[in-house]
Amino acid sequence: MRALNEWESKLLLGELPKPRETLTRTLSEALVFSASVAGPVVAKAVGLAHKSDRGAVVLDADLSACWQRLAGLGDGSVLVAEQVRGELELVAGGLRDAQFGPVLTIGLGGVAAEVFRDVAFLLSPTEPGELEKATARLLSAPLFRGWRGRPPVNLGALGSILAAIGVLLEADPKVSEVDVNPILIRDGQPLVLDALVVKDS
Amino acid sequence: MDAIFRPRSVAVYGASRNPAKLGHRLLRNVLGGGFEGEVTAVNPAGGEVLGLATVPGLERPVDLALISVPAVFAEAAVVDAARAGCAAAIVLASGFGETGAAGREVESRMAARARAACMRLVGPNCMGAVSRSATGFFNGSYFWRLPQRPGNISLVSQSGAFGGMFLAESRRRGLGLARFLSVGNSAEVVETDALEWLAQDAATEVIGLFVEAFKQGRRFVEVARACPKPVVVLKAGRLGAGARAAASHTGSLVGSRGAVEAAFQRAGIIESVTSDDFFDSLQVLSARRRTAGRRIAIVTISGGPSVLAADAAERAGLELAPLAAKTVTELRRLAPSFAATGNPIDLTPQCPPDGFQPALRAVFSDPAVEGVVAVNCGLDVQEFGLGLAQAQGETGKPVTAFLLDVPRIEQQLRSAGLPVLPSPERAVAAYAALVPP
Repeated sequence: MRALNEWESKLLLGELPKPRETLTRTLSEALVFSASVAGPVVAKAVGLAHKSDRGAVVLDADLSACWQRLAGLGDGSVLVAEQVRGELELVAGGLRDAQFGPVLTIGLGGVAAEVFRDVAFLLSPTEPGELEKATARLLSAPLFRGWRGRPPVNLGALGSILAAIGVLLEADPKVSEVDVNPILIRDGQPLVLDALVVKDS
Repeated sequence: MDAIFRPRSVAVYGASRNPAKLGHRLLRNVLGGGFEGEVTAVNPAGGEVLGLATVPGLERPVDLALISVPAVFAEAAVVDAARAGCAAAIVLASGFGETGAAGREVESRMAARARAACMRLVGPNCMGAVSRSATGFFNGSYFWRLPQRPGNISLVSQSGAFGGMFLAESRRRGLGLARFLSVGNSAEVVETDALEWLAQDAATEVIGLFVEAFKQGRRFVEVARACPKPVVVLKAGRLGAGARAAASHTGSLVGSRGAVEAAFQRAGIIESVTSDDFFDSLQVLSARRRTAGRRIAIVTISGGPSVLAADAAERAGLELAPLAAKTVTELRRLAPSFAATGNPIDLTPQCPPDGFQPALRAVFSDPAVEGVVAVNCGLDVQEFGLGLAQAQGETGKPVTAFLLDVPRIEQQLRSAGLPVLPSPERAVAAYAALVPP
């Protein structure tokens, strides 16, 4: 099994709603990108798992101070992205089941994902109405419908992310698992912050 | 597949004179049930078994060959049945895929030989088939105790022993059987083939499946979804088999559970988590169609157990219907002043017996009430049972019941075909199985 890095994984998944981001190979590239972003940026080392546990994600990044260290932690490049905030974090994923083939997941994401395990499962490709029913079964269903005046989650856009995961599983038999975690919900719209594709070697 | 469930002629390979041998029991079962077709006993040793002259092999085809010989002779028996032109064979013999690679090889060879001859092959390593006939049951299985009566429930089981549990439970509950098939190692015929046949079988109205692992998962989903009858599945091995070293969040979250959940959702399966659940669901679904509403009334004379029922209703996604003012007025008139006329409705043991029938009629007739769960611990007055059966008959609204120490009422409900379950929670859960998704 081989885990692809965040950048490669996102490339494989194709056009997804993401924050503005770029892969930088030098500090000056990173500074040029950061100057084009109005607000703060996040810098992430590339090519290692459990990034936040290993100090490999820097928020409100001072690139001159952290770029070299991050490059050294990972494969020598650093992913720099517009830093975004939102109201909710979700997780989506997919894998190949021995009995039922490609299966997709959608649920509550972020650090709480594996504590609450509040996820629903769908056969891929999904059929009309299935995503709506699946999210309605979740404990966190009220968050999807819009909690305390927040806008509801755009399920159409979420469905497109699930479809991209399904297409990848169909297209490449070597892809065994896909994680898109977290998906940040900002004003009801999903943004893919991180992704992981695992291939059978 | 017709030949498996409705054979007109049968051959038993391994028909032994020795009553201790399974082949002897199998032949006895075939001859002893309600099977009126021709039976041929196959035994290379010759002689006579149970009044039948044995033959060393088949000269003419039969619909169904039942093969109960030692594993080493099974392939030869399959070849003989295929050569004779049999439509189907059930290999009851064990000692194949379940024993390892060598056994798996023999098993796939038998399947290939059957396919080449256009003969369906069930098993190996299974308990056989039982099926309704005009005069009782065709018993092509090792089981010698069958349900008391033919009925509308059919079961497909990957486990032979679970098939035994099902037949015993059917006897205990007085459930009627349509078809039973033990698919064993499923070398050729898989659970979905049987499901597909049962979906169009006129005798079958509710289908149960005991499955450890689906052989053709996506096909199962499509066939189950297209099936016009309720399909109840007890899926064993929810955790063990799928334990995998997960490289991702998704892997650890899905486990072996997620895919099954996704598949059952799409297929509209009624899933049971325990064998009790499974038999409860089959019991209520055999009594009526899956058309119940979510809004129920719980009617009782027993406070505590009805509160447990109310809790179970919430867990099952049912709602306690708010009663109409007219219903409440009527209940107040009929029951003691301290009776609870909310929902659950506790008429109390002090309710005058002649109040039960009109009170139950009022509850069933309330337009907000779509169905009823009845709970009665120890007050064996026949007006309660009569009232339930009458009100159910008049309104057609579904009912399930939990009864304790009320033999007269239990008898009344059973003869009215109303399902009685062994706990308040199970009465509610069984009701929930009647609610379409």
